[in-house]
Amino acid sequence: MNGLELVKLIDLSRCTACRGCQIACKQWNNLPASQTNNFGSYQNPPDLEWNTWTLIRFNEIEGQNGKVKWLFRKDGCMHCTDAACVKVCPTQALFYTEFGAVDIDYARCIGCKECITACPFHVPRYDKATNVIYKCNLCYSRLRANQPPACVQSCPTGALQIGARDEMVRKAYQRAEELGNGATVYGDKFVEGTHVVYVLPEAVTVYDNLPEKPEIPAAILVWKDVLKPAGLIAAGAVAGAAFLHYVTHGPKVPTEENNNEKGEI
Amino acid sequence: MKKGMIKATSGFERFVHWCLALSCLLLIITGMGMMYHSLDFIGGMMGGMGNLKTVHNWTGVFFGMALLFAIVMWFREAGIPSFPEDGKWIACAGGYLWHVDKDKMPQVGKYNPGQKLFFLVVAVFGIIMVISGYIMWFPLDFSTGTVRTMFVLHALGFVIILAFFIVHLYLATIGVPGSASAMFTGWVSRAWAKTNHPKWLREMEEKGTLVTYGGEKRSGRA
Repeated sequence: MNGLELVKLIDLSRCTACRGCQIACKQWNNLPASQTNNFGSYQNPPDLEWNTWTLIRFNEIEGQNGKVKWLFRKDGCMHCTDAACVKVCPTQALFYTEFGAVDIDYARCIGCKECITACPFHVPRYDKATNVIYKCNLCYSRLRANQPPACVQSCPTGALQIGARDEMVRKAYQRAEELGNGATVYGDKFVEGTHVVYVLPEAVTVYDNLPEKPEIPAAILVWKDVLKPAGLIAAGAVAGAAFLHYVTHGPKVPTEENNNEKGEI
Repeated sequence: MKKGMIKATSGFERFVHWCLALSCLLLIITGMGMMYHSLDFIGGMMGGMGNLKTVHNWTGVFFGMALLFAIVMWFREAGIPSFPEDGKWIACAGGYLWHVDKDKMPQVGKYNPGQKLFFLVVAVFGIIMVISGYIMWFPLDFSTGTVRTMFVLHALGFVIILAFFIVHLYLATIGVPGSASAMFTGWVSRAWAKTNHPKWLREMEEKGTLVTYGGEKRSGRA
């Protein structure tokens, strides 16, 4: 897998919510478990955390004839090609790996949490004790060793695959067509393509916490692409204007008759 | 100090001014160190980007307090336009951009409309910077939409304040010679006052509140 732009394909039609991926992720990345309370769902922990980088979300929807449908979705970093978190990070702690994934250099992270606000998928999580943010890095260490990410390795049903971007996207569309009944591919069309792509058996809108049209928030674009350069342009313009004013119009010196007897200002 | 210089500012005013100005400058420097990756060395000088953020945040607290004093202290003099002379001053751009005959120059008071505008910009955008900065400091206590809006406001405030800061620096020094001493020693020359703030000088003379260096405080002249 070295040197390839990779995509992790998540075929939700094959997911049985065994949560092997959740455990494998914790094990490989040395992440502790959290004490949680039952809140009436198998979803546990209830949300992504600094120490939970991937999570199976459990979703109940009403299907045909009033029957309940149980949906599972493996949540986690989508590894955007044009990532809002990388764009806002003031210390360049967040960066793109050679596999197209987004990784974080903990030594550079200052815990400013700007990425948490910027991320359209609400993925990065903050840990107060270490004052840095955490999230999935697509198992960078494993990819470097030519091994699939821990979650992919653990998946018993083939719901998770990893491979070259084009191949995985092609497979995703093939699978969605096979499934029919409104199954769609999610990810390749947003933020210049995510490096995690879903095959969704149901409509996007029925899945919890899955934005219909994820994009870099407009506020982040205004901030980083407009105001950031505008600051320098404005400062340069007024400094230049002040200089021009001085050499053309000249400074405003007190008029002569207002001077004192010695002609001093 | 020459005899006959006119007292323009109190020691407390100058203290507040410099608290505000220097903290603002430090905020601009540290803020730019965070915004522009090419200025990472600013973080390096402070022992890392984490320290840079700490310095920026706490300087912001200090700036907020200085701003509060500045607003309370200067609002009456610099926050309210005075008609008709301020309108006329704006119409001729205070004589800064094209030639205006001396006898046609509007007789403005202690602060001209340009200075009033600067005061209001600093007051309004300063408050915006303090509030948006606080929310960006503790983003998890606010909604995502709120914090994203604060990013825009904080960056917009930076653009505006930096531009006004540079103009202020120019006009207070080489742009209008004789001005800077008002904020260093507190004394300005009579010629400077008569040229730039004639109404202020006249009113002080009429009310008898004029204080001159080496001179006795004059009693009121009816």
